[in-house]
Amino acid sequence: MSHVEIRDLRKTYGAIDVVHGIDVDIDQGEFVVLVGPSGCGKSTLLRMVAGLEEVSSGAISIGARVVNEVAPKDRDIAMVFQNYALYPQMTVAQNMSFALELAGQGKAEIAEKVSRAAEILGLGPLLERKPAALSGGQRQRVAMGRAIVRDPQVFLFDEPLSNLDAKLRVQMRAEIKALCSRLGTTTIYVTHDQVEAMTMADKIVVLNGGRIEQVGRPLDLYDNPRNVFVAGFLGSPAMNLWPVEAVPEGLRLPGGGILPLPADRRPPIGTKLTLGIRPELLAPDPNGPIRATVTLVEPTGSETIIAVDIGGEQGTVLLKDRLDMAAGHEIRLSPVLDRLHLFDTQSGEVLSTYVE
Amino acid sequence: MNAMLKSFRRDPLLAALWIALIVVAALWIAPFVFIVFTSLKTTSDVMATGAFTPPTEIAWENYGVAWNRGNFSTTVFNSALVAVIKVPLGLAIAALAAYALARMKSRFNRAVLLFIVFGTMIPFQVMLAPLFTLVNSLGLVNTYIGLILPYLAFGIPYQIFILHSFFRGVPKELSEAALIDGAGHFTTFRRVFLPITLPVLAALFILDFVATWNEFAMALVIMQDAGKWTLPLGLMSFQGQFSNDYGQLNAAIVTTVLPAVLVYLIFQRYFVSGLASGAVKG
Repeated sequence: MSHVEIRDLRKTYGAIDVVHGIDVDIDQGEFVVLVGPSGCGKSTLLRMVAGLEEVSSGAISIGARVVNEVAPKDRDIAMVFQNYALYPQMTVAQNMSFALELAGQGKAEIAEKVSRAAEILGLGPLLERKPAALSGGQRQRVAMGRAIVRDPQVFLFDEPLSNLDAKLRVQMRAEIKALCSRLGTTTIYVTHDQVEAMTMADKIVVLNGGRIEQVGRPLDLYDNPRNVFVAGFLGSPAMNLWPVEAVPEGLRLPGGGILPLPADRRPPIGTKLTLGIRPELLAPDPNGPIRATVTLVEPTGSETIIAVDIGGEQGTVLLKDRLDMAAGHEIRLSPVLDRLHLFDTQSGEVLSTYVE
Repeated sequence: MNAMLKSFRRDPLLAALWIALIVVAALWIAPFVFIVFTSLKTTSDVMATGAFTPPTEIAWENYGVAWNRGNFSTTVFNSALVAVIKVPLGLAIAALAAYALARMKSRFNRAVLLFIVFGTMIPFQVMLAPLFTLVNSLGLVNTYIGLILPYLAFGIPYQIFILHSFFRGVPKELSEAALIDGAGHFTTFRRVFLPITLPVLAALFILDFVATWNEFAMALVIMQDAGKWTLPLGLMSFQGQFSNDYGQLNAAIVTTVLPAVLVYLIFQRYFVSGLASGAVKG
């Protein structure tokens, strides 16, 4: 188990900058998730750590060693790919022992490591099968088995659950998380799915356009997003982000309602801002300041998601109660005042976060 | 049969396709039937009966006589020797080159590939005279090497072309996984790529074997000594010597075609589709 340090890491393809100077510290045994939309550079970053992409400038250290020029096989890492990349003509056991065999380990030693990994992952009965005869979840497990037999310093996961169906994804999510914490191996995990990031990570690194937007523990990022991007990216359903204007009593909302703010929290009058409210922090209230028209009601059983129109802006409300409501209803909402976020509309940076 | 009729009634297009298939197959098999029948007829039978009439009495002796008169023991040996060396050697070189071009990063990959593909575009008849001069100046006329080298030169480019596009289609994660597992290029090629490529290699083996086995013009130019003749050359002289004995001529043709058919039957079982499935999400 090692810590990983990434210092001012850059990647350029010809004239195109893909990764613009990234600094991340990953502690020993930490589960770090790199999350961001497609093309944000998260996979490139992971592939640079793996040694599959050359580093344009900056440094990557695993343990105390700078590995920029070290071959992938000598970095003491193991990687799980999105499409599993199992060797099709080899059995499950051969897939798992390939790396050990190439490293020149003895047959008895290899057999022992493979059977131990197979036991951990419940692959025992499948050892003689070929990948084509396995289900998606089983293939995913073999790919993980291939990684853990090597007992690496660092696990690298590149969107490993994207090819699985929703139910299996939830199950494998828990399995990977449990496995990594049990083995105590430092893990870097790439995903575009913010739910995976929130549920699995010790630490989330939110990337956008080749830059880090914010680094922190999942709930810290959820509660205190540093900018509009992080606020809108983390959380499902996403945070409501509405354009507002500061007026003497508080904020003028889309559709004309006024959201009163305490005197000491009022921004300078006339400023245009972006207001962020989590969907679960809005509640129906006959006297609420927000006037909304229901456009869609999505009951999931445990909760109800209501899409609303607020003066031409889209909004989402997440309710624990089952309300008798249908598209076209006019409702009034009131937010939990101490959990609002205000962002500068120009820069997108947070101005104030009302968290007690 | 009933089920088949039912599915035809449901899908007339399927029935039409089947009929078209049968017609085409019949057209293709007609010459073969003609050759086999004629090879088993006596000369008088050949003259007296129609081309597609089965022989009234089987003239097995045509084969024995044709074998001896055509000097087939020599020509079969020559053809087999050339094919057995050329076909596997050519495929090995082509597979290695295709892997290198598809998977080893170099600025010149595209240029080299273009250059090689360009080689497939030159009809070798155009090259025959200069090629003879070249082989002659190397002192290789009338030698097996003198024939095998030009065969390799004309066979490898299209094999590289086909294998290259196949290797390009292998998910790059597979080579990357091998790289992380500690495999160098040669190990990756041998342990990961080669097993996946078996069906393609089997197809190329058949095509190349048949092409080499039947090649005529180059062998005619380079092998001038009758002791070095390959089968098609033996067949040609056969026709001149016994032009009025069609039974023996066709027996010789059947003897020539038979090995190619055998190779086809042996290797076609490696056309197992879906061998590569399961490598990645399937």
